[in-house]
Amino acid sequence: MEAYLAAIAAIALIYVLLSLGLTLHYGLTGLINFGHVGFFCIGAYAAAILSTTGGMPIVVGFVAAAVLAGLAAWPIGLVSLRLRDDYFAIVTLGFSETVRLVVTSERWLTNGVQGIPGIPRLFEGLGVGMPSALAILGVLLAVNAAAVWLFFRLVKSPFGRMIEAIRDNEEAVRALGKDPARFKIRVLMLGAALAGIAGAFYAHYIGYIVPDQFIPLVTFYVWMAIIMGGVGRISGAIVGSLLLMLFLEGSRFLRDVVPFISAVDMASVRIGAVGLALVLFTLYRPQGLMGDYTRR
Amino acid sequence: MVFWIELLIAGLVSGLVIGLVALSITLVFGIARFPNAATGDTMTLGAYGALAGHAATGSMLIGGAIGALGGAAVGLAAYALVFRRLSNRSTVALLVASIGIGFIIRAGLSLAFGHTQQVFQVPLVRPWRFQGVRIHPNDLRLAATAIASLAVVFATLYLTPIGRRMRAVADDPALARVSGISPVRVMVALWLLAGAVAAVAGVILGLRTVVSPEMGWEMLLPGFAAAILGGIGNPAGAVVAGLIIGIAQEMATPVVGFTYKIALSFVVMLVVLLVRPRGLFGRVEGVR
Repeated sequence: MEAYLAAIAAIALIYVLLSLGLTLHYGLTGLINFGHVGFFCIGAYAAAILSTTGGMPIVVGFVAAAVLAGLAAWPIGLVSLRLRDDYFAIVTLGFSETVRLVVTSERWLTNGVQGIPGIPRLFEGLGVGMPSALAILGVLLAVNAAAVWLFFRLVKSPFGRMIEAIRDNEEAVRALGKDPARFKIRVLMLGAALAGIAGAFYAHYIGYIVPDQFIPLVTFYVWMAIIMGGVGRISGAIVGSLLLMLFLEGSRFLRDVVPFISAVDMASVRIGAVGLALVLFTLYRPQGLMGDYTRR
Repeated sequence: MVFWIELLIAGLVSGLVIGLVALSITLVFGIARFPNAATGDTMTLGAYGALAGHAATGSMLIGGAIGALGGAAVGLAAYALVFRRLSNRSTVALLVASIGIGFIIRAGLSLAFGHTQQVFQVPLVRPWRFQGVRIHPNDLRLAATAIASLAVVFATLYLTPIGRRMRAVADDPALARVSGISPVRVMVALWLLAGAVAAVAGVILGLRTVVSPEMGWEMLLPGFAAAILGGIGNPAGAVVAGLIIGIAQEMATPVVGFTYKIALSFVVMLVVLLVRPRGLFGRVEGVR
């Protein structure tokens, strides 16, 4: 039971990292990133490849995951940040699908659809079981805390005021002689690097990655999390991710309770529930659960 | 040479499918002003509708009609239940809601019909040969169906009063409104048309390949790419761009391989947005 709770907590913390990245993109700056899973995927594969075939220490993999995911965001930013929001959404969606195609086809690097097995777990030296699980949770918590701290610093800094101004009125920012595109690219890279780190944690935690784990549905899990929690709020990202975890794990238990429902059907029910949540929250509670209750 | 001609023909037929998807996207984008991410799953719905209709009646014509009606009904339901209420909200709200609707459709279809790929039980026909070039009679029929559907859409847009009103709303919603055009009627017509067009694309794709819950979602990216290449809001442009992308995809397959064929749409989309964001035939309208 403890092991199960520790596993859920670890995955939840990985989703919190992803949600924080998306909050930075969408909540603070207004970038409609529909390709978050692409950065997550790059981070996971970078860490996995370096620590298995690359034979590098795990830390190197984490740094590479953050750097590569951040760098991948750079051309996307350059190309599409001059575009209107809805076009940006389509381009990022295309980006994440292209990343998945690349990891599926470049077998020499990623082993194609078979994926990469045997990725070393973190803190294996502490022995399998609770000590290593707790150590992993500790590190994840520390990284999340660091990300949240960075967030608060960022929001209070001139940079933070600038990106929020871009979200609220881009024309005004431009009229003041600032170039919104440059700020957007930095935000995009920073959030992508966070997603890359999340990917590295994921790879080392699960121990086995295949391209099918990086479908666009994951992006919309994260969207569901920040929409449920409340867009643009750190508390929203955290609460939303925990709710998401509750939903994902709860649907697993539902199978034990409700008979005659196969694993495949459960996957469909899950997709449908994500869709329903996205629609209902957009319609009835656009500000999310943690949002301002006085405003609608 | 024969090989390339056969690829060209295959490209033309798949280009017509992409063109229909892009037409549905561009109509919604031009009139309701947001990229409808549920277009792909409406396609899938059309294919399953036709599959069920064909299995029940044995007639492909009735099956196809049921598929198209299903698509139109889903389009109208999505408008009435969701998009209408969001009409004065930001594009993001509409976009996120359309993703959600797509997921709901896909979940419903895979629960009803299962995840395994299905095929239409139609008799195999021996291909005709002209100078060694194989031409499938079925491909010709599908192309004819696609062209007929396009003709219906364009006739509706350019020859009927409701089509004129739709174009007026696309041009300038405020001006259309003060001219006494009812926005609700235009929207109802738009969603019926957009849903049916996407569904027909799904039926054709399903007949050429296989029917699976993910088939439509995978066509979304080529569809968006064609809509952008043709110039957002330009129906004829969307069809031409669909043909271009379809042919380019098939012709590129021997060079870049089967998996990267889809990535080609992404590249096309990026290049167009960078070099000529209003598309090949678009009006000078800001996408930046």
